[in-house]
Parts: sequence; structure tokens; C-alpha cells
Amino acid sequence: MVRLEYIKKQYTRTRRVHGNWYLASYQYKFNVKRINQCLEHLRKGELVGLKCRSCNTVSFPPRLICPKCLKMPDEWVHLRDTATVATFSGTYAQEAGDTEPRPYPVVAIRQDGSDTTWLANLPEGYDFFKVYVGMPLKVKWAEDKKGDFSDIEYYEPIEDPSIEMNKKEEAEK
Amino acid sequence: MGVQPAIVSAGFSEHASKRSDVNMAELMNEAIEDALNKCNCTIDDIDCVINGNMPAFEGANIPELWMTDHIGAKNKPFMRVTTGGTTGGSVAIAAYYAVASGLYDTVLATSFEQQSCGSTTVGLSSVALGEVSIYLQLGYDFEKLRRNMGAGAAIGIGAYQAINYMRRSHCTEEDLARVVVQNRHNAAKNWWTHLKMPNITIEQILETPYISYPLRFGMVTPASDGSCAMIYTTEENAKKFTDTPVYVNGVASVSNENAIVAPEASGCGQIDPCEQLSATISAKLAYEQAGISFPEKEIDYVEVYSPFPNQEFMWLERLGLFEENTAPMQYREGVTALDGDLPVNCSGGVNSTNAIGASAMERVAEAALQIMGKAGNQSPKEIHTAIGHGWGGTINLITLSVLADQPRRKYKGGI
Repeated sequence: MVRLEYIKKQYTRTRRVHGNWYLASYQYKFNVKRINQCLEHLRKGELVGLKCRSCNTVSFPPRLICPKCLKMPDEWVHLRDTATVATFSGTYAQEAGDTEPRPYPVVAIRQDGSDTTWLANLPEGYDFFKVYVGMPLKVKWAEDKKGDFSDIEYYEPIEDPSIEMNKKEEAEK
Repeated sequence: MGVQPAIVSAGFSEHASKRSDVNMAELMNEAIEDALNKCNCTIDDIDCVINGNMPAFEGANIPELWMTDHIGAKNKPFMRVTTGGTTGGSVAIAAYYAVASGLYDTVLATSFEQQSCGSTTVGLSSVALGEVSIYLQLGYDFEKLRRNMGAGAAIGIGAYQAINYMRRSHCTEEDLARVVVQNRHNAAKNWWTHLKMPNITIEQILETPYISYPLRFGMVTPASDGSCAMIYTTEENAKKFTDTPVYVNGVASVSNENAIVAPEASGCGQIDPCEQLSATISAKLAYEQAGISFPEKEIDYVEVYSPFPNQEFMWLERLGLFEENTAPMQYREGVTALDGDLPVNCSGGVNSTNAIGASAMERVAEAALQIMGKAGNQSPKEIHTAIGHGWGGTINLITLSVLADQPRRKYKGGI
């Protein structure tokens, strides 16, 4: 029987050797040219998504391969400038100049008319306890547009009619 | 179907946040020694070794090659499986396949993680950097992205799932804390676990600050060092090695793209992070193989992969053990406690011990030991069928093993 009884019992500590891992030479490729059409529309203040002809899935930001049927979607469709919160969370971050960490909301939004979500921003300093799933939002465009996704400065919360409807229902009860 | 695989033994190393008394290879060996001690099997009986860990978290790539001697893999077929958070579950399934195919009689499945060696952040960023680079090239502001990614990674996904689950089921933070209390108390009774807190209360957990809303610091999983080993063998050999073999009757591993962070990977129209279609599909596949028609009645013990408490509710519902949105109620009534009708995570779960690469295999190992009656925190209930579940990959890969004290029924098929 070769039971592995070995050195472990003789050594009380392992020796630690410190090493640094230089990460800066990673080079990931993503060809923006393929979604140029979307970026040009952003410069004009319009939103477009990419629609798959075979399953009608609309992706925004545009995806170049449909996740459902693995076809190449090639139909650009216009989207409204409203969106809903698909899911959210809150985090604390300390920026340069802050004395203590400040709360920030992190929201994944679904642009109305599309079927996918992406991480967007709410106005600076928005309280994340006020955010809820299904909250309606509207695009706030940046003043000088560069033709990329920073043209959407942030998403502004707008009035939610469903809250009043819920209140009415409760009052009727 | 080929050969019927069985588990004859499972072993663990001790888990702690810093195991500085051993290195990776020695850590792995502790679990193998424990596993070999629990059955009549020696290292000479092992025909093939499968190893796995989360890549790059220790800062050592291909660590399995330099630990060959320490895990008894010298001059034997040897292979590494790694699928992120589910690595352990995938190693267990790989060992199942190796035996079921008839190629090897006895297979040693091993998995480990020594997170104190390296930086988890580096490991995670190398997972996410590809996606982040796309955001940056689309013109996303770096400061805003950094902040958003702060709630990203695993905890972010846990938080998103919690938000959507709480919206569906109207469960409260108190319900989440109740899960944590149960796990910490269970972990205190188990010898190999990491966070042992026998006296923690719900109030104490609700006093801790938010780490990612709605998850508090007291609710989340620790980062552990530890390892796990299991021995898979054929039905005939199993009776030689041990009196209480556990049969693996069904396995499934299903991936479903549900990442919500990046443009190139955002969902297949699944915009609700707690929908978890892959868990439902994997449950269907594995139960079908094992001949389980009524999981809520036939399964006696459950080990789910739940680093965050809300996931325990979600998985139990998606794996068909409770009705939709009723899991928080079952926890309130004590159904899932150690002496309840359906004990869940008696080992303390991933919520109390998380050596990432080993976590998913510890679920299978603990489920097997509960059937054998050799678990550290043994449930008083008689357990015949148990499941071990894993979650991970880049956000959404599910592994599931269905174990039982009887071999799979030979007749398989439709009506």
C-alpha cells in the first residue's frame, strides 16, 4: 500500500514568495466598424437596434450574432427613447476627493422595443432605494455628440402611471 | 446506458481563509487522504485521475501538472476540467462519464482552490476584461464603467437575482438573513467548514452594512482555501470498497447564456436574472435519467450552490423541490432545517465555505456522505435520494448530479 504520508507533518509553515502579474499587455479585439450604422444614428440622436429576421429578437446594443437561432441579424430597426429597469443593484464607491464611500445605483436597462439588457447610468447622486424593477426611464442625450455610446449621458427617471393605478386599486379595496 | 457508476468515498481538507501551513499540492493531498481513509481503496486501485480548479485565481496556471506526485496521478491517465464556479460539478460529471463509458474502473476526482495564494480580483478581471474592452470601445465612460462593474462579477449577479426574486415573491431581507443563520449554524457542527458561527442571529446580520444592495456583508460567502476528493467506481467494485456505496443515477450540465453585463453577451431574451431556465432544463434531464417523476416527494436531501442566500430559494424552486415563490415560507416553517422534512445544505453550503473550484464538488460529496450516513453534520432523517447542484461558468452554467442508495432502474424509456 502506497499511502501518501509525506512531508506535511514535518513542515509547520510554507514559505511565501511574492510575485506581481503584469496584466497590461492583454489585447482584446472588437471591431466597431461592424456596428457603425448604430453609432452614426447615435450621433443624430436616434436609437437603432439590430433585428434578427428569423426570430424577431431585437438587440440593443446591437449583437452581431443572434443568440437564439445563430443567424446573422441584418435589419436595423428604430427604437423609442424610453426604457425600463430590468434589474438593479447598489454599490458604494470612493472617487478621488471623496472623504467616504458614496452610494451609487447600478442598473441594467431594457430599451423599449428591444429584447436585451445593458448596464446604463442614472443621474449622478440618485438614491438607489428609490429604484425598482420596471421603473420607466428616458434617454438624456449629451450636448455634443461624438457618435458612440457616451452620447447617452444617462437615463432620466420619468413619471410612472402604474403607481397611481396601484394606489387607485388599493383605495377601491 | 453503459456501466452504472457509484461513489464509494468522499473526503475534504480543512477549510480556512488562509491555509498558509500547506501549499496547493499538500492541500489537495489532505482531501485525498481523507477520501482513501473512508473506504477500503488504496491509491493503487485508482485507474485515472481528474483534477480541476478555477483558472488563474491562485496565479498558477496548469497547477495540476506540478502536483501530479502529491495526488497519486503518477503514470496514470490524468486530465484537468475547469468551468469556473462549477468546476467541481464538472469534475464530478467527468468522473461519472469516465466510469460510465467503461474506459476506467476506478476514478479519483479532485478539486481545490487556494485563494490566499493569489488575487481573486485578477482572476475575475481576466474573465471580464474581454467584455469590458467592448464597452470601452463603444465609448462607455471608464469611471462610470468601473463603478458599475463594482457591483458586477459574482456578487452583482447575486444582487440582481435577489432584486428580481424579492420582487416576484415579496420576501424580505429578514428571510434572506434566516437562510444565512441556518447555514452558519449548520457549518458550526461540521468539521471542515470555514465560517462557523453557532450563535449568530438574524438581527446581527441585518445590522451589517450593504455590500451590494440588497445583500449585506453578513450574508455573503467567504473566500476559502480548501479541497475535495471523491472516488468513483463501477457497481461491482463499489461493493468491495465499501458497505454503503452511493449510485450516481443521473447527471446534467446545461449552459444558458444569461449574462447581463456586456453587449456581446446580453441574454437570449431572458431579461429576468432569476428566471434560470438552465436550472429547470438540467433538472428535467437529470431526473429523467434517474427515473424521478416527482422530485418534491422522491428527493430526501438537497445540496445547492448558493453563495448568496436568495439563490437558495431560487434553486430550490427551479429544481422542482418547492412551488414557485414558496421557498421563503418553507424556511420560516423549518422544513429545510437539519431535522426538517427536506434538509437543505446541512454542511453549511457555499454560503459558509467557498473554495471556488471545489465548492460544486463539495455539494455532490456532501450529498453522497449524507446517504452513506458519514457526513460531518448528519441529518437524523433516513436519506435515499439526494442531489448536488452547481452554478457558475460565466454567470450561467448549471451542473447537477442525482445520487441514490439504489442503482438506476434498468428499464428506461417512454410509455
